[in-house]
Amino acid sequence: MDTLLRTIAIIIELLILAAIAYSVFNGVRLTAFDLGIRSKYNKVIIMVLLAVGVIVMVFFIAHLTTFYPAI
Amino acid sequence: MSLSELFWTGQEVYITEIFLPIIIGVLVFVPLLAVIFIFGFMRHYRLWKLGQPDDRSGNFWKRFRTTLAVAVANVRMIRKNELYPGIMHALIFGGASVLILGKIVRLFSYFTGITNPPQNVYLYASWVSEVGAVLLLIGGGMAVYRRFIVRPPRLNNKPEDSLIYVWIFVIVLTGLMVKGYRIAISEIAPTDWAAWSPIGYLISHIFPTFLTEARNEILVWHRAIIHTVPAAIFLGYIWLNRSRLQHILLSPLNIFFRSLKPKGALSPVDFETTELFGVSKIEEFTWKQLLDLDACTQCGRCQDACPANFSGKLLNPKQLILNLRDHLYEVYPIPLSQKNIESPKDMISEVITDEVIWDCTTCRACQEVCPVYIEHIDKIIDMRRNLAMEKSRFPEEVQNTLKSIGTRGHPFRGTTATRTTWFEGLDLKVLGEDSDVDVLYWVGCAGALEDRNMSVPRAMVKILRAAGVNFGVLGTEENCCGDPARRMGDEYLFQTTCAGNIEIFKAYNVRKIITACPHCFNTLKHEYPQFGGDFEVIHHTQFIAGLIRSGKLKISGVNGSGKTAYHDSCYLGRYNDIYQEPREILTACKRLQVVELPRNRSRSFCCGGGGGHMWMEEEPDKRVNERRIEEIIQSKVDFVTTACPYCLTMFEDGIKAKGAEESLQVKDLSELVAEALEKDSSTGITGSEMSDEVDSGQTG
Repeated sequence: MDTLLRTIAIIIELLILAAIAYSVFNGVRLTAFDLGIRSKYNKVIIMVLLAVGVIVMVFFIAHLTTFYPAI
Repeated sequence: MSLSELFWTGQEVYITEIFLPIIIGVLVFVPLLAVIFIFGFMRHYRLWKLGQPDDRSGNFWKRFRTTLAVAVANVRMIRKNELYPGIMHALIFGGASVLILGKIVRLFSYFTGITNPPQNVYLYASWVSEVGAVLLLIGGGMAVYRRFIVRPPRLNNKPEDSLIYVWIFVIVLTGLMVKGYRIAISEIAPTDWAAWSPIGYLISHIFPTFLTEARNEILVWHRAIIHTVPAAIFLGYIWLNRSRLQHILLSPLNIFFRSLKPKGALSPVDFETTELFGVSKIEEFTWKQLLDLDACTQCGRCQDACPANFSGKLLNPKQLILNLRDHLYEVYPIPLSQKNIESPKDMISEVITDEVIWDCTTCRACQEVCPVYIEHIDKIIDMRRNLAMEKSRFPEEVQNTLKSIGTRGHPFRGTTATRTTWFEGLDLKVLGEDSDVDVLYWVGCAGALEDRNMSVPRAMVKILRAAGVNFGVLGTEENCCGDPARRMGDEYLFQTTCAGNIEIFKAYNVRKIITACPHCFNTLKHEYPQFGGDFEVIHHTQFIAGLIRSGKLKISGVNGSGKTAYHDSCYLGRYNDIYQEPREILTACKRLQVVELPRNRSRSFCCGGGGGHMWMEEEPDKRVNERRIEEIIQSKVDFVTTACPYCLTMFEDGIKAKGAEESLQVKDLSELVAEALEKDSSTGITGSEMSDEVDSGQTG
C-alpha cells in the first residue's frame, strides 16, 4: 500500500515537473521565433527541445524514485 | 505564547537556512530580469519612436486617475453585458496582485528585520497571498473554460495561450506546495498554520516528508527551486518574448495616453506643412497609434460590437489592429533596430485591404467597448485619407459623393430638390434677408434634400414657433457641413467646406446653432473649433427637451397611442453622450408606451449610414440597417423613434427591404413632438391645428 501511495505521489510530482518543462521549453521556442529565428527551423527546435525534455524527465524519474521520501 | 509568536518561531529556521539562499538567488535573478525588462520595453519604445508626433501631454492627474480606474479597478472590463469576462479578469488581476503583494512583503521581510513577535502585516501577507492564489486559480479556471470549452468566436487561440495558463498554474501550485512542505516539516501546532496558511496547511497533509530535519530542509529547498526558477524564467519570458501578458504594462500606458479631445473630433491635416496625406506606411501612423497596436489585449470586444463585422463584412476591428501590429513587426524585425526590411508589403492593399477600410461606418462601437482605449477609427480614417487624397482610389459611389459635395455643396446625387424646397410656403426667416435671429436652424443636407427627411425640419419649425423662438435658416447659402467628406477621407474638401461655412456664420454673426442631424452637430460642435469656428451648437433633442423642461413646450400625447423604442444614433449617443434628452422627450409624450431596444445607449447598434455609407452601395445580405431592423422588429414596437436623418433613411430602407411597412414605422423625435403639441394658449389652437397652420405658412 505504501509503495503504491509513493508511486502515485511520484507520478503527481512528475506531472508537475513535466508541466514546468513544457512551459519553460515552449517559452524558449516561442521566444526564439519572436527574436527573429525563422519559422522554417520550428521542426528542428521542437526536436531539440523534445530531446532535452526527455533527458530532463528521465533525470527526474531517476531522482524521484531514488530520493523521494518513503510513506 | 501568542498565535503570532508561535507562527514566526517556527519560521526562523526556515528564514535563515532555507529562505536566505532563495533571496540570494532572487538577487541574482533580479538584475537579469531588470535587463530583460528594459530590453523588452525598449523593443517597443524604439518602434513607437518611429511614429509621427502627437501631443498627448497635459492633464496628468486626469490621465492618472483614469489609468487607476481602468487598470486597477477594471471599470471598463466589468460591464453589464460582459460580466463573465469582466469578473474573470478581475479575479485574475486582483488575485495576482494580492498574491504578489503578499509574496513581496514576505520575501523582503528578511531585510526589513523580522522580529519575534512580528508586526501583524507579515501574518496578513501570508494569508493574503494564499487568498490571492485561490482567486487567481478560480479566474484562471474561468478563463480556460471560456477559451477552450465555450470558445467564443471573438477569441482566437494561439500557442502562447495554452502555455501561459499551464505556466501560471504550475507556478501557483508549486508556490503553495513550498508552503505546504514548510508546514509539514514544522513543529508548530497545526491550528496556527490552518489560520494563516489555509491552503498550505491543506497541502501539508498530502505529500510525504522525511523523518530527519536535515533531509526535510533539503526537501523544502528542492520545492523552492522548482517554484522560483520557473517563476523567474516566466517573468523573463514575458519581456524577452512579446507576450500578450505585456498588456500588464502596455495597456495602462495606452490608457494613460488616451485621447482627451472630444470623442467626435478627427485630427486635422495641416496642408501648409504636411508632406503626408493620410497614412500608407506603418511608420506614418503617430507614435500613439503604434502604441495602440502593442496595447491590444486581443479580447475581441470590438469585434463583437462592430456592425460591419456582425453583418458579414470583411472589417474586423480586432483583426485590423492585430494585422497592423504584425505588419509593424514584419517591417522592423530586428529587436531594438529601427532599420526596416527592404521591400515590405504594401500596407494598404496587402495588409489592410481597401474593402476593409471602406467597410467602417465610424460608429465608434469598437472604441466604446475597448477596455484599453484603442483608437480604431482614426487609423481607418488616416488610411482613407491616403486612398482619397493621394491614391484617388475609392468606390465609385464615394467618388461621386465627394464630387457632389465639391460641386453642389451636398452629397445627394440626383436629387431634384433645392435647399429651399422643404420650406416652401412656410415663410421662414432666411439670414441673407434678415439676420436678426437668436438661433440659426441648421437644416443639414438630408433634411433639406432627402424626401423622407424633409418632414423633420418642417416639424422643427412647428416646435420652434410654438416655443416662440426667434430663428432663421441659411436657405441657399447652407452648404454641407463636411462630415461625409471628412469621414470619407477627403480632408481637403472638408476643410474647404468648413472654411466657407465658418465665413458665412461669422458674416451673419451667428452664435447659436440648432441642428437635427447628429453628424452636423458633431462636426459643427467639435471639428469647426479646429478652424476657428466656435459656436454654441445644440442638437434638436437637447433643445426640445429644454423647452419641455422649462414648460415652454407642452405635450399631451401623440395622435393615437402606440408602443415605441428609441434608437440611439451613434453620433448623438456614443460620440456626444446624449442619451437622456431623447428619452425625456419620449417620456413627455404620455400616451406612448416606451420600451428599450436590447442594444441601447452606448451599446446601440449602428443604422449603417455613418462614415459615408449613407451614399454607398452594399451587398443585400450584408446591410447593417437590415440587421438593426430585424432587432427592432423583434422588439414588437409600432414605430421606432430616432433623432438622426441618416438613421431615418436607413431604417425606412431597412423596413422596406424586410417588407415590414405595415407593422413598423420610423419617426424622428421632432415629428413625434410636432404631432403631440398641446393646445397653445396664445394662439388658441391645438397641436394638430397648429401643424396645419404651419404647413400653410400662417404662423411664425
